[in-house]
Amino acid sequence: MDNDNINFNELWQGQTANQLPTIDLLKKVNKYKTSNYIKIVLSTLTISLTSFFICWVWISYNPQLFTTKLGIVLTILAMAIYGYSLNQLFPLLKKMDNTNNNAEHLANLLALKKKQQFLQTTMLNLYFIMLSVGVGLYMIEPTSEMTILWAIFAYGITALWFLFSWFYLRPRQIKKQQTKLNDMISKFENIQAQLNKE
Amino acid sequence: MKFEDIYKEYWQKIFRLCMGYTNNYELAQDMAQETFIIVWQQLPKFKQEASIGTWIYKIATNNCLRQIEKQNRFPKAELPVNLAEENQANIEPQIKLLYKFISELPEADRIIISLELENIKQAEIAIIVGLSEANIRVKIHRIKEKLSQKFNQNGQR
Repeated sequence: MDNDNINFNELWQGQTANQLPTIDLLKKVNKYKTSNYIKIVLSTLTISLTSFFICWVWISYNPQLFTTKLGIVLTILAMAIYGYSLNQLFPLLKKMDNTNNNAEHLANLLALKKKQQFLQTTMLNLYFIMLSVGVGLYMIEPTSEMTILWAIFAYGITALWFLFSWFYLRPRQIKKQQTKLNDMISKFENIQAQLNKE
Repeated sequence: MKFEDIYKEYWQKIFRLCMGYTNNYELAQDMAQETFIIVWQQLPKFKQEASIGTWIYKIATNNCLRQIEKQNRFPKAELPVNLAEENQANIEPQIKLLYKFISELPEADRIIISLELENIKQAEIAIIVGLSEANIRVKIHRIKEKLSQKFNQNGQR
């Protein structure tokens, strides 16, 4: 081979780049925030606020029927479970140590992505189901005081909304997230396979 | 160790690593900056008994691997475009080819050969990547063969 004597090292060193002054580099630190954290905090905040609102409704309207109370509990539980599982990501994100070796780092990244995948499907489904049942039960009391026609109307609108979310919004949301995640997971697995190959 | 000194000493090395990984001047510059931001954040946690070089290269290579999950997440390097182009235009075609060929390798190989060409000991590369030294030696040998082949096929003498 003619090129065995190409000095790769020398060629390699031929590449240089301008260096940003330290002060300008450090200005970027603030911009460098992981969007994951922000998302988790915002979702948790929304869920907590909604739960507080529902509790407030319970206290101020003092429902009589058991179904209403059960509905409220289910709704809050749905949100609590979702919020809890969402926050399960926190320790994993924190544990993401960039100073591990590549093989360990890849393994951690894969664990994180797979956890995210689980949360986004299983937990989202559970959340939707509990929320629908909760709202349905809650509505029994207020609708029992309405005429049949209005009650059907109220349930109809709610059912329509849940059908729309379940069959349109939920799959779309899951698909969007899963495509991105699956793509990442397969790429990370590919690199892992490169490392494991002799 | 002071951040300023680390930044000065390792900037070109880390840039080359990122450049070998992506063969995209602006992106490589972004990635190198990202690396130093992480280094700056993590520096207080650095344990003196470890080698600072190995530590920095672990951060840099992990950051390369994570490019998969952060497309368009980081603000573009604030460098005039023509400056970047000018930098590239003055470069020997062979250097350009080397970086192009390296960036076409599988991800793990890109990292391993970049570290090797940066004259890092194979024992240290093994620590950074998380493979055995023997394994690294074999891989480097194969990658170099592959690169020579690519140069040959390209008719570059």
